Amino acid sequence: MTFRTKLLLISSFTTAGAVALVTGAVSIASRRAFERVDAGRREALLDQFRAGLEAQGKDVAQRVDRAAVSVSVKQIAAGAAEYDSAQQAAEAVGLDFLDVVDAGHNILSSAHWPARFGYQNDWQIAAEDWTASDAFLARIPLPEGSAVALVAVRPAGANNAYVVGGRRLTPEFLKTLGSAPGMRALLWLPPGELIDAQGAVTQPERLAALIDQVRSEGREASGAVRWTAQDPFSAQRPARDGALPGAASPLPRRAALCAESMECSEAIVGLPLLRRGSLMGVLLAGTSLREQMSLERTILWTGLGVALSGIAMGVLLGWWTTERITRPVRRLVSVAQTVAAGDLSSRVDVRSRDEIGDLAQAFNQMTEQLVEQRERALQAERVAAWRELARRLAHELKNPLFPLQITLENLQRARGQSVIDFNEIFRESTGTLLEEVANLKTIIGRFSDFAKMPAPVFEPIDVNEVVRSAIKLHEARFAMNGRSAIEPALDLAEGGLPITADRDQLRRALGNLILNAVDAMPRGGSLKVRTARAGQGARIQVSDSGEGLTAEECGRLFTPYYTTKQHGTGLGLAIVQSVISDHHGKISVESEPGRGATFTIDLPSSQEAQRTAPGAGLEAPLKSYDSAAPGSVVRGVSEET
Amino acid sequence: MRASVKDVDPSAPSDDPEVLGARAALVPLVFETLVRLDERGDPKPWLATSWTHDREHKRWVFSTRPNITFHDGSKWSPPDGAITAPDDRPIEQILRDLARPRNAIVSRAPDGSLTGTGPFLIAEWEPGKSARFAAYDAYWSGRPYLDSVVIQMGRPYAEQAADFQTGRADVVEIAARDLRSPRSSGAATFSTRSTETLALQFEPVGVPDALREALALSIDRGAIRDVLLQKQGEVSGALLPPWLSGYSFLFPVARNVARARELLSSSGGATLAFAYDRQDTVLRPIAERIAVNASEAGIAMRNSSNGSAAVRLVRLPITSTDPWIALSDLATLLKIALPENPANPYEAEKALLGGFQVIPIVQIPRGWILSSRVRNWPNLPDVWLDAGPSTQ
Repeated sequence: MTFRTKLLLISSFTTAGAVALVTGAVSIASRRAFERVDAGRREALLDQFRAGLEAQGKDVAQRVDRAAVSVSVKQIAAGAAEYDSAQQAAEAVGLDFLDVVDAGHNILSSAHWPARFGYQNDWQIAAEDWTASDAFLARIPLPEGSAVALVAVRPAGANNAYVVGGRRLTPEFLKTLGSAPGMRALLWLPPGELIDAQGAVTQPERLAALIDQVRSEGREASGAVRWTAQDPFSAQRPARDGALPGAASPLPRRAALCAESMECSEAIVGLPLLRRGSLMGVLLAGTSLREQMSLERTILWTGLGVALSGIAMGVLLGWWTTERITRPVRRLVSVAQTVAAGDLSSRVDVRSRDEIGDLAQAFNQMTEQLVEQRERALQAERVAAWRELARRLAHELKNPLFPLQITLENLQRARGQSVIDFNEIFRESTGTLLEEVANLKTIIGRFSDFAKMPAPVFEPIDVNEVVRSAIKLHEARFAMNGRSAIEPALDLAEGGLPITADRDQLRRALGNLILNAVDAMPRGGSLKVRTARAGQGARIQVSDSGEGLTAEECGRLFTPYYTTKQHGTGLGLAIVQSVISDHHGKISVESEPGRGATFTIDLPSSQEAQRTAPGAGLEAPLKSYDSAAPGSVVRGVSEET
Repeated sequence: MRASVKDVDPSAPSDDPEVLGARAALVPLVFETLVRLDERGDPKPWLATSWTHDREHKRWVFSTRPNITFHDGSKWSPPDGAITAPDDRPIEQILRDLARPRNAIVSRAPDGSLTGTGPFLIAEWEPGKSARFAAYDAYWSGRPYLDSVVIQMGRPYAEQAADFQTGRADVVEIAARDLRSPRSSGAATFSTRSTETLALQFEPVGVPDALREALALSIDRGAIRDVLLQKQGEVSGALLPPWLSGYSFLFPVARNVARARELLSSSGGATLAFAYDRQDTVLRPIAERIAVNASEAGIAMRNSSNGSAAVRLVRLPITSTDPWIALSDLATLLKIALPENPANPYEAEKALLGGFQVIPIVQIPRGWILSSRVRNWPNLPDVWLDAGPSTQ
């Protein structure tokens, strides 16, 4: 990840985080405010319900008062009416339930259940002074079950009879309580009836837990419910021709379906309706969470919009800022890469006066110092090379010059001797002169060869065949006079080892290694040449059983003019390295003192591929010589440069 | 009338108690039998004037009334002016059989229509809705006073009362409980002896014996009769009314809720699907009262709205003044077999009620409201309308 990308991300995340924090804080604050308002509204609704219940109770009591003094009830109380006469009395005063009972609480006539005449009124409360008592909630037995009603009791007629009348708590009753938009009253009646002002509530099971809590604890409880079948507040909206009291928005009545969203959620508080410790029902006041959810959603979407805008602006500003900040850095990076590639003439053009400008100036100074140091190093290296070359030439030429000088001095002294002796000395001296001159020519030829290494001519070859020809070429050296025999051993790859290479140069390189091995085994030994496939290329290993090399010798072995031999030029292995390098291969040596040395050559199979993908087909190249602890195997590597 | 009668074929069976009762009242207007049973159930000559043994004392020979004609004008002329019957049973049984409507004298036309010899002929017939009976001028006992009688069928009590109030009917049926209610000036009520038994009829299978007995024990018949029926009819544990059998007091009517609960103690209560005609203002309060009584004993009577019920509250008509015939008709209607050769009607009825397949509750009379101009009700051939001011 680039520096500019990092800066860009940091600025973007900072902006988005700040906006999210603000949005969350606003959302939480608004939710709490809504909850406080809703709680107040629910309490107000409960108060409204209590007031409505009280008003309805007074109304019921007044109706029962009228029934108690009616002729029909008096006739029933006197036993002068039919068993179902209470129905007419109930209809006359607008009561849903009406029983006329005698002093023993036996039903004389029942409006809502005529067939119960003669039975005990088991919902009448124990004897009280009913003359002016308030209405109360009671459960009325019915043929199909029971119902909860507001009930009042009054003495009726003679014979200590009573009239017990009441009105059912119905959706209509809840309507009379009125409610504000977004609020509603629900009533749960045992055993499981749940109604609101619209009638039976759908999905009553969603309120079961709250109702159970109110029933079990006998006190107020609250919770939230999510409706999925129908939006209760959509259905609650009154029609234009029938606006409810307190309803401000006369929207067309409709029952909108709820999606699985919070828009149909409702906060509900439940209040137990008790009568002398017995639960008559549960009143539930609900407020729609639609507005709250809508506001929260608005805040959320606004926050998201602001956040996205902020992120977009942050990205743009960040991009512009980071572009300005990182432009000199990138320029510095580019110049540094150019310098690293070897072009020390590159300079950073940064004119700013900040830290980046100081860095660029320091970089330019560092580069200039590098140039100066490199020129000094090159000059010193050239001097050292010329000195080394002079030393080598002097060393190589000094050896044959000394016999030449001795021979010529012998010839000068021989002029005073007899002709016979002089001839003899002359013949021997000229032979020696010719031999040393030839030696000089050889030395000069080697230097000339090293200086004039021709470019390789690549062609398909078989490595095994080249190995065999090199062995055969130097076979005579394996049993030279005065030396013990050397046993060559070939371990060649089966089926040939085809690669693209210069046959002659490769043979010459192998020959140098073989001669090197022969020189390393003056008392004879074994010479092993092994070929094998190595990845996409070929591997050639030449091992001897000589005295081996030290770690230092391994490290310098491929340096031109370095030799461990008394009469060597130090060019043999340098030529080998040059050939292998021209073939895009690498050569390494592993040796241990007293255990011989093994030279390993890795060559690519195709030179064409090497021009497009240097290093392909070879093992991972080693960049440096490994030093090892004393006594361990030392490995030196020279590779293509 | 409340019943919807589809036809008046005297030989056609019916499993509808209301139709059976209504048909028993209509058939004698059109069709006649050789003998009829009087108010006491005694046979008396009708189309047969006398009956004697033949010479071998193997058959009864019924001498027929002369100059009898069917409504289509054809003459009824049995061979030799007499009808014979084998003397294989006591003559009382033979006479009771001959008095049954199914043994009426009919003339069947090629199109299948029936013609009788009764005082009225069928002038118009709209099955189940209305019928007009016209006086048969050539009736052997003299032409009826009324030229025609129009009967509207399938009319609940309330609609009949409305028809009466608006003057569209001179005679309407009235529920037993309303017989004692005050009437408008000039109107009169007429009631018969108890001719219907209200009873609970169980499905043949599916209800345990103990549950049926418990339900029978839970019913407060006295409250039903005294309050719901305004003391009309008789509380009874028997199917036949006391005026017909004389032994109905032998069947218990006492309520015993404790015993009913005891019978149900093993099951801890029961639920019964209950059905009755909700349009019947007599049956409905009685059914509701039975449900209240039953709940006291631990039986929940659940109203059945789809017609399939374990128990029904039904009206069982008393179709004859003879207890044997009435019992036989009831057994056929209830689909309960009577024992073979019972010693007397009591034994037969006891066997009929033994399994609590049917639980009699109360017997009620039939009642009518008559306009002020109706005279000589209820025997239609003898009824005439007074020419005085009508109630309209």
